[in-house]
Amino acid sequence: MKMAALCSEFGDLAQIKKQLISVISLCKERGLLHSAKWASELAFALDPLPKDELPPAPPFTEEDAQDLDALTLAKSYFDLKEYDRAAYFLKGCCSQKAYFLYMYSRYLSGEKKKDDETVDSLGPLEKGQVRNEALRELRVELSRKHCARELDGFTLYLYGVVLRKLDLLKEAVEVFVEAIQVLPLHWGAWLELSNLITNIEMLKSLSLPDCWIKDFFMAHMYTELQMIKEALQKYQNLIEAGFSKSTYIISQIAVAYHNIRDIDQALALFNQLREQDPYRIDNMDTFSNLLYVKSMKPELSYLAHNLVEIDKYRVETCCVIGNYYSLRSQHEKAALYFQRALKLNPRCLGAWTLMGHEYMEMKNTSAAIQAYRHAIEVNKRDYRAWYGLGQTYEILKMPFYCLYYYRKAHQLRPNDSRMLVALGESYEKLSQQVEAKKCYWRAYSVGDVEKMALLKLAKLHEQLNESDDAAQCYMLYIQDIFSCGEQLEHAEVSTALRYLGQYYFKNKLYDEASLCAQRCCDYNDAREEGKALLRQISQVRDQVETPSADLFAPLSNNTPVRRVSPLNLISFTP
Amino acid sequence: MASVHESLYFNPMMTNGVVHANVFGIKDWVSPYKISVLALLYEMSSSKITLPERRRLNKLILPLQQGPDLTLDQFLKTVEECCPQTAYAVKLRLHEMADGELKDMEYFFSTLPTPFTAFDSEAYKTSVVGLFMRHMLLAYNKLSFSQVYKLYKSLQHYYHSHFSKPGDSLPALAADDSDMDLTSTEDTVGDRADAPLLESELRSDNAPSRGPLSQKQAEYFLARQAYLLKNDENKALKPAALQEELNNMLKFNPDFAEAHYLNYLNSMRVQDIFLSAHSLLHYFDRLILSGNEGKSNGDEGYGRSLRYAALNLASLHCRFGHYQQADLALQEAIRIAQESNDHVCLQHCLSWLYTLEQMKGSESTVLTQDSVKMAAHFCLPYLGSLDIQSLVQQGAMQGKAAHKLMDALKDTEILHWKHSLSELIEISLAQTTSIWRMYGKSTMALQQAQLLLNMSSLEPVNFGVHQNNTEAFAVALCHLAELHAEQGLYNATSEIFQHLKDQFPPHTQHSKLWMLCDLKIQFERHMNNRKYHVAEPLVKAMSALNKTEGLYRKAIVLKALNRSTEAYSILQQLQAHCEKTKCTEIIIRVMLSTAELHWESSSFSTALPLLLQALALARQHHLQSLASETILHLAFTQLMLGIPEQALSVLHEAMEPLLAHGAVMDKGRAMLLAARCHMAVAGFRLKGRGPLDVHSAALAADSLNEAASYFSKLNCKERLRDVHYLQAQLYHSLGQTSQSNKSAMNFRLLDQELQSPAPPVFLQL
Repeated sequence: MKMAALCSEFGDLAQIKKQLISVISLCKERGLLHSAKWASELAFALDPLPKDELPPAPPFTEEDAQDLDALTLAKSYFDLKEYDRAAYFLKGCCSQKAYFLYMYSRYLSGEKKKDDETVDSLGPLEKGQVRNEALRELRVELSRKHCARELDGFTLYLYGVVLRKLDLLKEAVEVFVEAIQVLPLHWGAWLELSNLITNIEMLKSLSLPDCWIKDFFMAHMYTELQMIKEALQKYQNLIEAGFSKSTYIISQIAVAYHNIRDIDQALALFNQLREQDPYRIDNMDTFSNLLYVKSMKPELSYLAHNLVEIDKYRVETCCVIGNYYSLRSQHEKAALYFQRALKLNPRCLGAWTLMGHEYMEMKNTSAAIQAYRHAIEVNKRDYRAWYGLGQTYEILKMPFYCLYYYRKAHQLRPNDSRMLVALGESYEKLSQQVEAKKCYWRAYSVGDVEKMALLKLAKLHEQLNESDDAAQCYMLYIQDIFSCGEQLEHAEVSTALRYLGQYYFKNKLYDEASLCAQRCCDYNDAREEGKALLRQISQVRDQVETPSADLFAPLSNNTPVRRVSPLNLISFTP
Repeated sequence: MASVHESLYFNPMMTNGVVHANVFGIKDWVSPYKISVLALLYEMSSSKITLPERRRLNKLILPLQQGPDLTLDQFLKTVEECCPQTAYAVKLRLHEMADGELKDMEYFFSTLPTPFTAFDSEAYKTSVVGLFMRHMLLAYNKLSFSQVYKLYKSLQHYYHSHFSKPGDSLPALAADDSDMDLTSTEDTVGDRADAPLLESELRSDNAPSRGPLSQKQAEYFLARQAYLLKNDENKALKPAALQEELNNMLKFNPDFAEAHYLNYLNSMRVQDIFLSAHSLLHYFDRLILSGNEGKSNGDEGYGRSLRYAALNLASLHCRFGHYQQADLALQEAIRIAQESNDHVCLQHCLSWLYTLEQMKGSESTVLTQDSVKMAAHFCLPYLGSLDIQSLVQQGAMQGKAAHKLMDALKDTEILHWKHSLSELIEISLAQTTSIWRMYGKSTMALQQAQLLLNMSSLEPVNFGVHQNNTEAFAVALCHLAELHAEQGLYNATSEIFQHLKDQFPPHTQHSKLWMLCDLKIQFERHMNNRKYHVAEPLVKAMSALNKTEGLYRKAIVLKALNRSTEAYSILQQLQAHCEKTKCTEIIIRVMLSTAELHWESSSFSTALPLLLQALALARQHHLQSLASETILHLAFTQLMLGIPEQALSVLHEAMEPLLAHGAVMDKGRAMLLAARCHMAVAGFRLKGRGPLDVHSAALAADSLNEAASYFSKLNCKERLRDVHYLQAQLYHSLGQTSQSNKSAMNFRLLDQELQSPAPPVFLQL
């Protein structure tokens, strides 16, 4: 359409707003509620238009006028979910709008019946056999019209949905692309397309119209494909272009930060989001995940109660409550709420995984495996489920067996240190030190979240009597711990200091050794050793005081580990 | 947005978060087919039927009750075979229901004899029929209003789909007698009832059913395909088609764990490590769940599948040659098994452990011996005798006394027959064949191979398939091919290979055996005909299949092409390698080849110690054919050293076994050598004429004739030319001009045909 050509740039926000307003009414007329919602949210974020600039109502054709009464009647039935009735009264209408609503009612009627059927099928055998009977007829009719090029953007979208439901994915992608090209402003078509794209190559190969909405789509796709950096860049551009007030973008950025584990950023954004849109339920499960990770009990409790007040029968609400119970270590209740979430929507990926975690906490490994497997069934690329399966088998003391799962998880998130550390630990248990070392080092290189990789690497080197490498790692570890500023519970700085002290002592670097020993005294568990080492040092110093100290100067310069000067420590001391 | 389109179903089978994987546990659901069976039972109990007909119907009941759903067509046809009258009555009753209203079906269920009241009829509550009826009634009564309506709809569909197009009813899978153990006790029953079904079964082979399968059908399909994969892969569905079927099945029922296992087997067929590992793990993830409920003794069922999961993973890696991975997985399995005191699993692990050690090429006799002891202790005959078999194999390689090995095999044989372990019987026969071949007793090997191939298997013949695609068969057939090739029966050999190709297509696991064997035979043929340029490319193919063999053949080709230095270095390298891996046969062959290299530099005396060493080694390992070969070399060396009398006496030693067991080629070579020795003894010189010892000369002439006959059998023209040349010379010396002229003419003809100069005066055997 012309709209697409007009608006390849963000320059004219007013133009975009106009388009949004017109597409909102189009979607509303056709009962496409979610697309209308999305567009409305976006339109709300833009400045209001002056009265005379409001877009004119779409042209009203003769056909439309003919169908007006039937359409109005059918639309009201449709809104009341009486789909068959709506379809009945729309039969024979010839306007595009009526035709879409007619087909869409039939589709939704089939879906609704399918859902009802599933509950009381004749037996478990039929469970998989229940299908939307209307799909095939719809496909036949739509494909006939498609060949005759009689479909508009909305009907093309519906045709795509039908194809996707019939598992004709390749055809579905083509039809969705066509639908987008005809009507780029319909967000639903983009979303459906995004579900069918599996990798970046496929994304690049599609020919999509050059419209401002494409940037939203690309950003969404990058998030889906875990290319977070690119996604954030895209969203940043969108904000700069004038969408700064859009709650949609804020929530997407927050989710993106969540995905790369930038918890603080994500939390800040979510808080901002809740201020702007206090009754929002979408994405709140992600928010609760963040609160959970940060162990922010009061905030999570507040969120949970707040959401229950808004709507307790929402998947997100159930997930938030589940997280809340999980944080309070009431895992049975948590599992119960995740189950409820799944009853509300069995394809809710997060809930399966979270339920798996709960069962893990309850030591019910078989149920956990089951839950994770379900999660994988819903989405093969769910790294958390693969990781969870790995953990389950690790708990069952099968380090080799869990390697496969960790590897899968790592494949999906190559730059996530947790998988690498888990892989390293498994390799260590299998006495495959070389592989373990590689994993730990890689985990450190990609940015270790839990700050454990270096410590483990150091201990591994220590075990293998590679004292230089071990010292080097401990050094890096100490720097790492102090540089991140906050106190970590499991931090084993004292272990590192103790080892370094001994190491320098052995290498006759007494100054460094005594420095380490002094620092050791700051920690309860290493105080005695620190003192002992100090005593030893002073003894040795007394003995060697007489020969000239210069003797040691060249020696100390030759020691292998001088890449980082030990004096650096001081600058990091808190 | 997407959530609008998602179905809102929840799983009624889910309790405590666990979906019971075995939703098939509940087997009795009313289906249109079940209604037909009920109608049949009703008719049988209510109407008068003659005794023979009733008897036939009675025999039919169980297969019908337990088999998978049939189409109405098949069902009625089956019943008609037994009693047309009843079939008609059943049809009528179904017609009444299907063409009537819902109340007709409800009425039908209410008129069914209640098993609790009918004391005297077949439908009494404890009878087979009664039980079935009770199940059905219960299931029917449980249905909700809409479900009843749905059932009625499907009954109508069932009935009308039969009568609207009676010509092409859907093929369905036929009754499966393997899971009807009740019927198998009375064998005569099945025969009659199944006869009409077999046809449809054959049809269904080619056109696997589309769409969802019922539980029984799915189970039957899986069982059948798994059986075929194990026993005769060619008859199973093609890998791609099977994969498609399985995907289809899993789409409709993702909880069907067994399908994942079949998927694993199928991926193994096409050597797809990723998919097979994935399916295997998926299967065990599912199994762990279902195992949980079955066992009453707490953790047992669950832990069990964990152990076997690790063990299976080990075998998977082993199969793909990832020995280190396999080792790790195996250790894991062993550890878990030890922790839970599962001796049977441990025993399995032990067997795998020594297999793995063997595959890695290290010493594992001690492990195997331990394994035998353990197996005996835990009364695991299968594993025990498998262990013994591999012990025997190791023993044979290490040159243990032959009678001990044969004794051990005989003992296991008793065990096999006692426990009907047909698979092991086959392995045992194949092993005996191999051992006899190794010892150089071709007749015995031939006999054992024939025994295996002609033996009828002990396994019950399911799905019309004999088990004949095991490694044992492949090995026996390969030996057979080689034995035929040795006797120059190349047509028979190629026939055997054709069979092997059909039976073990190139993508299958055991195909490498015959590929290597085929290449070896071709190589030998070309070498004998001195077509080195043709033999050379084969070497590459051989090294792909077996490195050692390839290297050895490469050395031989190089030697034949007079690139002695390269050949020598390869032989040295090979000898060092084989001494490490204790591959005696190759060591001896390498020594012989090295000796031949020494001949070429005319340093016959240096070859002697090498040959003696080879002879000692061959005798120590009872390798008769190799020993004879060594003796041939020895005699030749002595001949060249100018002590033909000595050579002759040595040669006599080898002559007898060679003539009895040797290949035609070896026989010919031996005769030729004998003739040359005799000629030397007779004082024959190539140039110049002297008085000849007439007796020796006559012997030489005889031997030459015999050699000529052997060589002509193989159509080995090169050697035939040599023989004719010698003959001509000999007759010439003896003054028999006509004979001499004849031989000379033969020589000339061959020489023209071959167009290549003869090698310098027989510097080779």
